[in-house]
Amino acid sequence: MSNIDRNARLVDLRNVTRTFPTEQGGFTAVDRVDFSIEAGEFVAIVGKSGSGKSTLVNLVAGIDRPTAGTVQVAGVRLDTLGESDLAAWRGRTVGVVFQFFQLLPTLTILENVMLPMDFCGTLPRREARARALELLDLVGVADQASKIPSALSGGQQQRAAIARALANDPPLIVADEPTGNLDSHTAGAVLELLGRLTRTGKTVLMVTHERDMSQTIDRTVTIVDGKIAGETAGGPEAAATEVVAHV
Amino acid sequence: MFSVRWHKLIGDVRAEAGRAAVMIVAIAVSLVAVGAVLGAYAILTREIAVNYLGTRPASATLELSNGVDAALLQELRQGSIVSEAEARDVILARARVGDEWRPLLLFVVDDFDDLRLNTFRRESGAFPPPEGTMLIERTAVGMLAAAEGDAVLVKTPSGSPVSVRISGLVHDPGLAPAWQEREGYGYVTRATLARLGEAPVLHELRIEARDRPRDIASAERAALEIAGWLGARGHRVHEIRVPPPAEHPHQRQMTTVLILMLAFSGLALVLSATLVATSLAAMLARQVREIGVMKTVGARTSQLVAMYVVLLLAVGAVSLVLAVPLAVVGARFFSSAAATMLNLTLTCSTLPWWVFATQVAAGLVVPVVVGSIPIARATRMTVRETIDQYGVSPDTVRARFAALPMPLRNVLRRPARLGLTLGLLAAGGAMFMTAINVSASWEKNLAKIGETRFYDLEVRFRAAEPATVAARVARVPGVTHVEAWGYSPSAIARPGQIDVVRTYPDRGHGSLIMLAPPPRTTLVRFPLRSGRWLVPGDSGAVVLNHSAAAQVPNARLGDRVTLSLDGAPTSWVLSGIVEEIGSPAVAYVDTESFSRAAGTGTGARMLRLATSARSAGERIAILRRVEDALAEAGASVEAGIPLAELRTAIGDHIVILIRSLLAMAAIMAIVGALGLASTMGSSVVERTREFGILSTLGATPKRLKRLVLAESFFIAGPSYALAWVLSVPLTALVDGLVGNLGFLAALPLVLSHTAALEWLVVVMTVSFFATLVPATRAGALTVHDALARL
Repeated sequence: MSNIDRNARLVDLRNVTRTFPTEQGGFTAVDRVDFSIEAGEFVAIVGKSGSGKSTLVNLVAGIDRPTAGTVQVAGVRLDTLGESDLAAWRGRTVGVVFQFFQLLPTLTILENVMLPMDFCGTLPRREARARALELLDLVGVADQASKIPSALSGGQQQRAAIARALANDPPLIVADEPTGNLDSHTAGAVLELLGRLTRTGKTVLMVTHERDMSQTIDRTVTIVDGKIAGETAGGPEAAATEVVAHV
Repeated sequence: MFSVRWHKLIGDVRAEAGRAAVMIVAIAVSLVAVGAVLGAYAILTREIAVNYLGTRPASATLELSNGVDAALLQELRQGSIVSEAEARDVILARARVGDEWRPLLLFVVDDFDDLRLNTFRRESGAFPPPEGTMLIERTAVGMLAAAEGDAVLVKTPSGSPVSVRISGLVHDPGLAPAWQEREGYGYVTRATLARLGEAPVLHELRIEARDRPRDIASAERAALEIAGWLGARGHRVHEIRVPPPAEHPHQRQMTTVLILMLAFSGLALVLSATLVATSLAAMLARQVREIGVMKTVGARTSQLVAMYVVLLLAVGAVSLVLAVPLAVVGARFFSSAAATMLNLTLTCSTLPWWVFATQVAAGLVVPVVVGSIPIARATRMTVRETIDQYGVSPDTVRARFAALPMPLRNVLRRPARLGLTLGLLAAGGAMFMTAINVSASWEKNLAKIGETRFYDLEVRFRAAEPATVAARVARVPGVTHVEAWGYSPSAIARPGQIDVVRTYPDRGHGSLIMLAPPPRTTLVRFPLRSGRWLVPGDSGAVVLNHSAAAQVPNARLGDRVTLSLDGAPTSWVLSGIVEEIGSPAVAYVDTESFSRAAGTGTGARMLRLATSARSAGERIAILRRVEDALAEAGASVEAGIPLAELRTAIGDHIVILIRSLLAMAAIMAIVGALGLASTMGSSVVERTREFGILSTLGATPKRLKRLVLAESFFIAGPSYALAWVLSVPLTALVDGLVGNLGFLAALPLVLSHTAALEWLVVVMTVSFFATLVPATRAGALTVHDALARL
């Protein structure tokens, strides 16, 4: 596991703006945001639909690039990397968990987890397989390793997706509404799993709508119209109260 | 052991097995065509060298008026002016086959055991042929309807009919097949020739020039030099015949056929590769999110590019595994058919390494090159772009298309893919229609033989016969009209030089004759290319057919053209040029001028007859009665030829080209149909989620099916129109190529209704079924299932 200094800034966004061209002119999804996350934090991003939360996490994960400002993650300024280097960097530094799991349908669960190690050349095949099995065991779906994704339930698929995100032992896990497609019981289990990761030294940045997460979330950032409207310690439940007051 | 990414690739191929199969079949079909044509080319080039050049073709034949004696031959062989010499003679005799007399070229050989030039090989029977017997070329068996051991009635120009036994068969690769030329080939000794009533003199001096000329001009120069040498020693040379050096009589036809086939198969390969590219593009379109996910977990663009390039290489490799053995079979089949046309014996059917190397290179490289475009486009997308795609096609319809019907707007959503699909289909359709159009053009051209000639039979005399023979023949039952024509072999004369005719030893290829039709002949009417046809009293005027005009390319109307008649130059004013299909080079002059120039007086060298015959059998019967009447009149008939023989001869010359074109049409139909099926199928499958949305809005499965079928016809329709338009210049191009090859004149442009209808049926049927299956499947999905798709 990575050795992260819990007091160091793992994510640092400075005056970041992201504008999308549309037929009606530019649409600013993220507007001059300054934002940072320290290593080992579990940060939740909340906000209404279209507020810019997903754009913000995409910028952090190197999935998208800012129109202005700088994004620095794990000591690397992302604007200095080309697309290919960015992909390789992301594979090693960021584990991404999607709302719809995005497991590759023609690969088994085990192979899905091995895939990042294959692309990044992290481990030889045999060791990669052992690590993948270990990660699947960690998330509780080791017994499903040889199945293809469509044979698993949504919760099992999301657990496998989390295992995949951990494959290259990245310091940062970015999750975009990872429980958005799950029932409340399964969603709770997935959040619990992500919370456990922070206790092993991982940093988690998560976009969520879940309210009852005060026990696992360190900090909640509220986005309104592309700007950070507020930050609160703890889960979104507390933040919701504050946002209502803000509005 | 494969790494995970390759497992993914294998899984993708399994998941898209149908599409992969289409790609493999398309490439394999084209590779079979490319390999078969290249293989045939390799085999034929090698075998022509082994067979034809193996006969040591003479570089020139000099016709000596007093014959070639042994002393001259010895002097030539011992001297340094030629590298080899041999004396021969060729007599145009006739052989009785059933009720008709057929032309028989009798090759007279001095010493069968000492063949030096234009050699031939014993196939069976006695060699040399015993006196009073003859050997025949193996391809003449059918023409003479006789085999080894049979006796054939042979009549030479000066002799009476004599029964000659066939003592054996030979193979003479220097001759075009007898059945193609519609004449027999016999080989006799001088003693047998004497028995047949001819003087046993060999007039032909066949020589091989010292420096082995590589082109016909050098060969002519060398031959004229030797003629000068002979003239200085008192030997009169009255004609020189020079064939194109080291070139089989039908080699040009064969080379053109092969190049045409290669061009078609190359285009088929490009079309197949385009089909692969469109299929791959469709496959990648479905995998856009997966590509995004792979990039998210660390895949570099180069790694993804490598994956899909390997996929294309695998498609090419599997296609090659299927195609190479079939191409070998095709090459052997094609070369065997061509060998029959060229009268070759295939000594070896092994294909050289470069044929396989070319196939492998084409199979692996072409799909990758063409496929690189969709690969680059898909793998260069950023992760955000890929995850922004939600299954409903992101392609937008331009505002100006908003007023169009919905199926048409859907078709226009992806202009690039639409362009590629239309291009693929149009090119496939155009080539399909072109192949059939050219075939129809050929048929129409053959029909011109009958449309411009209104006689059924032609009788040639050895010498001018009195004009009364025409009147006598006119009384023969079944003869409706007779014309007496002047006839003489001729050549383009050059001042102070001996006549040089660019022809082969069979004298059939490249010769020039002079004909003198009666004024106001009703038996021929050729279309004019320039000038005018002969008019009564047209003294000194000459009308050349287009083949003859090609021998004097610089001559203009009103220019003087010098033609030799029996070695003497005669001068004529060029009055017109006509197009005459299916004839050697002919110079038409008026009867009186011809009589004066040829010294034939009022005599006729040729009769042309119209008959009341309605069948080949009736024609032959009338010809026999005509010949009997002429025999009674004491006329010496050199040849009696039904016009239908001409059509058969020409048809047989090029039948391989027509069959090859039709084979290519079939290949184009397969590739085009696969392309259409693949595109239509992809277009439906990709929009499954969209159909789910439409279903939630109330669209019934029937309505959805109607929508996609309408879309398919919006693609098939314009592609069909485009294909038809493209086929017009393409047909004209190939008509020009093939026509000039066979007739020195472009084939008439024919746009076959059959071709147009057949392609319409192919396009509409394929688009209907290719769309119906996935559309039915899409319509049958529940809304939930449809929306769950990417």
